[in-house]
Amino acid sequence: MENFTNETLDVAQLPKFEEVQMTPLHPRYWRVVMLTWGLIFLVVLLAIVFGFLFSPDFRPVAPKLLVVVCASIIPIVALAYTAFRKKAFAFRTHDVLYRYGLLATTTVVIPYNRVQHVALHEGWLSRMFGLATVQVFTAGGSSSDIEIPGIDKTQAENIKQLLMGKIQKEL
Amino acid sequence: MEHFSAPQRQSAIGVVVMFFDTVQQYARALWPILVLWIFRFNQMDKMMLAIGTVAVFIAIGVVAYLKYRNFTFFLDEAQGEFVITEGVLNKTKTTIALYKIQQVNIKQSLLQRLIGVYALDVDTAGSNEKEVSVKAISHEVALALKARLLDNESRKPIGPSEETVETHQAKPFIQISMLSLLKIGLTTNYIRTLGVLLAFFATLYDNVLRFSNQGYLDEDQFTGYIDRALLLQSIGFFLLVLVAVILVINVVRAVVRYFGYTVARQSGSLLLSFGLFSTKSTIIKPEKVQIVSVTRNYFQKKMDILELKIKQATSGEREESKQAVEIPGCNTAERDAVLKLLFGKIPEQGAVLLPNFRKLVFAIVTTIVLPLGIFLGVVALAEENLLKFTWIAPVYAVFAMTLLYFGYRNYRLFIADDFIIKQSGAWDVKREIIEPQKIQAIAVSQLFWHKNADIGYLTLHTAGGAIRFQLGDFTTIKQYVNLWLYEIETSDSNWM
Repeated sequence: MENFTNETLDVAQLPKFEEVQMTPLHPRYWRVVMLTWGLIFLVVLLAIVFGFLFSPDFRPVAPKLLVVVCASIIPIVALAYTAFRKKAFAFRTHDVLYRYGLLATTTVVIPYNRVQHVALHEGWLSRMFGLATVQVFTAGGSSSDIEIPGIDKTQAENIKQLLMGKIQKEL
Repeated sequence: MEHFSAPQRQSAIGVVVMFFDTVQQYARALWPILVLWIFRFNQMDKMMLAIGTVAVFIAIGVVAYLKYRNFTFFLDEAQGEFVITEGVLNKTKTTIALYKIQQVNIKQSLLQRLIGVYALDVDTAGSNEKEVSVKAISHEVALALKARLLDNESRKPIGPSEETVETHQAKPFIQISMLSLLKIGLTTNYIRTLGVLLAFFATLYDNVLRFSNQGYLDEDQFTGYIDRALLLQSIGFFLLVLVAVILVINVVRAVVRYFGYTVARQSGSLLLSFGLFSTKSTIIKPEKVQIVSVTRNYFQKKMDILELKIKQATSGEREESKQAVEIPGCNTAERDAVLKLLFGKIPEQGAVLLPNFRKLVFAIVTTIVLPLGIFLGVVALAEENLLKFTWIAPVYAVFAMTLLYFGYRNYRLFIADDFIIKQSGAWDVKREIIEPQKIQAIAVSQLFWHKNADIGYLTLHTAGGAIRFQLGDFTTIKQYVNLWLYEIETSDSNWM
């Protein structure tokens, strides 16, 4: 408390987190999302085909189910795309911001001096596209951790270095 | 001394640990299928089963080997980091700054003891689960690694090791009297005790019926007795007995649990001890306190008593510390004394943030309109014998409406320079107090149809749980978020 000052803060002059220009996820991440959904559809379709071929009880239901599954493709893709477009992140001098959400837009802010540790995840699909996920942990428990997917591998490494550098500086 | 400066694997025998870990993991994920197979055991081709089992175990073995191959750890001395890489298809690299490490535990499970390896868990502050776990290393490596991980001067030790309890020295400054405990017993936990009672009598009734079905009692006579008894008693009398039983149970519970509750000051910490049959002692360090909540209902306000709950930062596997510490039956002066000790001053209220009226509307729709709509729909569709229950609808509506209205009226956020206080609750009015410095992360959220109304949600995460405020003015919320961020980011104050 040695250099303690106590001027009135002009709240309006503070940097505004809501006006930060956020970086969207890497365009290649959209392919990862699509491939994931494609695989899910493939599994569901295979299950239906197998059911049709080998289970007489299931046979009459199969065409209806197929129609439902096919009809759900467009809304799912649309929702997935909206969710993908909504996700964005920003690294400011003192904190990291992550925005996401379909119905509700949520922005999480973690100051660097509250970061406990950092993890870098590479899913097998993401790795094929040279992408990685950065996860930032705080002491606030899993609900306050953020996980930013779809970041270019080298950039993710840089971000991790940056975060670790910020953590060390807090010493 | 080992160096750990290059990425290294676990002990080769660690494959065995990985193998059993993987088996366990798969068994947990696939147990429904396994159960199904066991039931169909007789119908299955034994040969196919044997081949299948062998194939599965070979596959798991391969996965375990790959896991072992891909799991490496090393110490980055220059950066002061401990780095762990793991994963076969999905790879994860976890980096922990050495000075953030709070605890390193060396453990041995039965399997690990059999093959002579040790596990080493690394813990940082906050989250309950261990951050990383090295599952199979020799004892020498474990000890050396632990020494290196904890070998940095800036580390501030926290955790239970330093909490030596010296009960006899401290002089209590709050002693909760028998009278206060009686008051607390009379004024709290009605609903919870009612629930416990209902559950108890339901099981009892069930058991008695089963007992009678076995021929020890004549069932007709028994149920007939109950019917007659119920007819004889007026419902009012029954309710009176019920209330009396609840009160007695509550008082007994409060007395047994909190008998002789004393709060003492000990070198800046709070020392609590209480209990009738076994005395429990707890130490609370002010810097570790995250959320303090003060709860009081109408009766308690008249009697000048209240309940304090203190949530502390959790560290490591001390799961029980997650539970809040309660100080029941303080009066206003004692509350202020405790708050002063914990926060250095009595929290002031500051500016008020009120919820939008939509919060009330939404609550009415979800707890009154929708359930009653379904209920009345069912009554309308069903036979007449349900019709006599329609009186429940208006009674429920009035009751719920009253609760919702008071809940809405009490719901507010007080924001002062050094404190944020969230007030909520219809009957039991709760005030949760946090300091902005204890915030770990802030989340703001807005549903897209609330954009024009400019309202939204605010969540403040601390190491002792989160505080959430719903449907406040969004512009104001964002302004305060910027202010809090500024305060957190410009100071190095310790949050625990």
